[in-house]
Amino acid sequence: MRLKIAMTMTTVVFAGAAFAATEEQGLESVKAFTLEHNDALIVEAEKMQTAAEDYAALIDANGGDYVAAWAAEPQKLAESVQALRAQWLAASNQYETIEGIVAGIPSTAKYDLILDAGNPGTEAEGVAEFDLTLPDGTVLEKPGSLFHTITEPLFWGTDKDHVKVEADLNGNGSADPGEVLFDANLALGAAQGMVKWAKALRDDMAAWEPNRDDAFTAVVTMTPTVGDYFGEWKESQFLGGDEAAFVAQSRLIDVLGIMGGCQLMYSAAVSPVVATSDAALDSAVTNDFDELIALVSETREREAAGETFSAEEADALGSEAQDIAERIVSQVLQAAAKNGVEIKG
Amino acid sequence: MKLKSQLRYHARALVVGAILAATLVLSLIWMTPAARPVGVAMKDIPFYRLPFGPDDAGTERPFWPSRLQSHSGQFSDPDRLPSAAECGNCHQREFQEWAGSLHAIADRDLIYEATVEANENADKRHPERARFCEGCHAPAEMLSGRVNRFVSVGPSDALTEGVACITCHTATHADGEAGNGAITLAYGRAEAERDAPQGAALLADPRAHLNAFAAPETTALLKSAQLCGSCHVEIYDMSNSRAEVAQPVQTTFLEWQSSWYARQGITCQDCHMASDPAAQVMAIRAGNTAKPERYSHRFVGGNHLLTDTGLGDALSVLRGGMLPGMDAATTKATLDVQSRQTTALLRSAAGLELRASNRDADGLHLDIAVQNLGAGHNLPTGVNDQKHIWLEVVLTDPTGAEVFRSGGAAERLGVEDPAAVTWIEHFLDSKGRRLSDHLTFSTAKVVWMRKPIPPRGEDVVRYDVALPDGTAGPLHLSVKLFYRIALPELIFTNLRRDMALPSFTMAELSVDLPDSSP
Repeated sequence: MRLKIAMTMTTVVFAGAAFAATEEQGLESVKAFTLEHNDALIVEAEKMQTAAEDYAALIDANGGDYVAAWAAEPQKLAESVQALRAQWLAASNQYETIEGIVAGIPSTAKYDLILDAGNPGTEAEGVAEFDLTLPDGTVLEKPGSLFHTITEPLFWGTDKDHVKVEADLNGNGSADPGEVLFDANLALGAAQGMVKWAKALRDDMAAWEPNRDDAFTAVVTMTPTVGDYFGEWKESQFLGGDEAAFVAQSRLIDVLGIMGGCQLMYSAAVSPVVATSDAALDSAVTNDFDELIALVSETREREAAGETFSAEEADALGSEAQDIAERIVSQVLQAAAKNGVEIKG
Repeated sequence: MKLKSQLRYHARALVVGAILAATLVLSLIWMTPAARPVGVAMKDIPFYRLPFGPDDAGTERPFWPSRLQSHSGQFSDPDRLPSAAECGNCHQREFQEWAGSLHAIADRDLIYEATVEANENADKRHPERARFCEGCHAPAEMLSGRVNRFVSVGPSDALTEGVACITCHTATHADGEAGNGAITLAYGRAEAERDAPQGAALLADPRAHLNAFAAPETTALLKSAQLCGSCHVEIYDMSNSRAEVAQPVQTTFLEWQSSWYARQGITCQDCHMASDPAAQVMAIRAGNTAKPERYSHRFVGGNHLLTDTGLGDALSVLRGGMLPGMDAATTKATLDVQSRQTTALLRSAAGLELRASNRDADGLHLDIAVQNLGAGHNLPTGVNDQKHIWLEVVLTDPTGAEVFRSGGAAERLGVEDPAAVTWIEHFLDSKGRRLSDHLTFSTAKVVWMRKPIPPRGEDVVRYDVALPDGTAGPLHLSVKLFYRIALPELIFTNLRRDMALPSFTMAELSVDLPDSSP
């Protein structure tokens, strides 16, 4: 039953994506997958830019006075901040899906530093080599990664240097941690930077020639993220708090999409290699992927049917998913070692 | 004469029986498979990385920046490591006690997990730096080679159990002064023991079991505070943070080592493993330093959040879910006891006394003593950028109107109260900015805002209160000493949850002040 549901969901998610007959065909499908998510990243980043423009417009309408803006438009500003956070998560999820590939390819690795993993120029190593020009003309030299150094702490109010005023965004009567209005100039500049660099990544990704090392790297870096996503689904139900990010749709839908992508990459590009050297290992990994997708699909079906999960059930499901993913990764890494594959990142 | 006749009569049967028995024993020995070699060489763990290089002598450091060591020098096969649940098949009481402890969830607790991830994000190029954390929180994961950028070793139950049976019961060396996980574990002995008789057969021949889990050096360490100190001392340096000068962050063992308790031979185990820790502390406070009659495996400490059964489902999620070998009923039962004992222990630790109260033209001057009455280490202790205590002082007039307040319950304030007298340390980054979310890898300096209170010591806090004009006495003084396990900022930043973090009242004082209006 579980397998049947999985097959149905996978078909829905990847309709039209034919499984490859050869490693070469599989590698091409990996590239197509990466470009697809890169395009989605651009779309989400553009929506983030729109949200940042809306936020900045509300501040500008009050002459740049954040206190006055909050007094005049609390509802619109609260919605604007929530929109920025939601778009941040949407864009970040798209990037995380292809981070393993982007970071693993020499010609695109610099984008991983700029978008997600780089340090500011004040650090000794891993510096994101770019400057960010803000709408008011200010140039931030080597400011760090757009996702984690700049926008994440900005949108969630933990970048104290750019907090403008505390604000009761959720209307519960007090400004709780993270409930702030932040620098609109930086928010808009960073969102514009996100769009710019996501597009630059797309250009270089389009020029990339896929290869075996990158395919293996993608599978072993992306598959273990199931625990994070499953965990967010689980935690959102029982810990309350800032659930805005997960109200639009169940996190399980994201899990299904991302893990389906991992399964596709394994089946298309990695399996032909593993099967040649160790058919039993390939069969084990294939079965584990089927089991993982089935577990997520079945849980999503139950959730869609209105079932509520106890904390113990949610935990058990999350642990089971993570265990399967870790089993997959350990086996793929063993196959990689047998086949002399270099895992990057 | 009669006996000899009987012996002659049974001699043949006895001889045959002896021969059969000897044959059986020899057959069993012959049939028993030779012990399989145990341990996994580092080269056999694909893609295991050593990003921090060898030590000064050129020796490889597979677990650095943790000081954890493998006794054999080998890694372990996770499928051969016994889980605590398996130990619980025979040692059921100890297993169920342990299941309620913080040791059991050292590698599962959601706040810890999220904080490790936040630290990894702070140094994305070297996720192996998390070995510093996992050496103490997840020794089985470490010794299996799973704390690595690419995890090529599969999961198993034993790896999810944090500080489990095999952690302490295979320890062969520990260095409390060095800390940072300076413990050597002979997990190879636990792996080898799997080939020896198990279950009921183990009772007939317990030698392998004793060799694995009760070796003389291990038995000695189990009684020693050094064992605890190896992980309850944490020092930041360039290997694990941005501290150019060593920064002692957690010094619980060292605090104990220089205390009256150490001089009396009272160890960590005597209080935290007593079957009733609060009663043990109260006995010690009364001068009775006798050892507990029985040592429990609850390791009761100061974490009032992750033992708070009032949190319901959220507690289960925060604790990382159900442990292998446990069910909902037994988990609830053991957590209920853990919760009661934690609460009682915290309340046995501290006291408040009003030392002086003088009123003059400038106002009212209060001296309030905050006393460490029952802790064999500082108050507060542990990772004190998070764990902190503070005073709430409230003065009311005869009508009940509040004329002065300092500090307040965290639930009401929602954030750390900057006006309160607080015993807390601040982590500062390399630019001197405070880090409130336990970002070890980004920390350059650690400073105490107010020094913690040593064992059997006290800190007398002076309050100079400028009373409003016309304030009439007599005034009533209400003082509470609050404790909280973590800052809300940590939960918000690392878990993205605006969760109410309960504070805990450690001590209270309520005094009607003499009416001494000037």
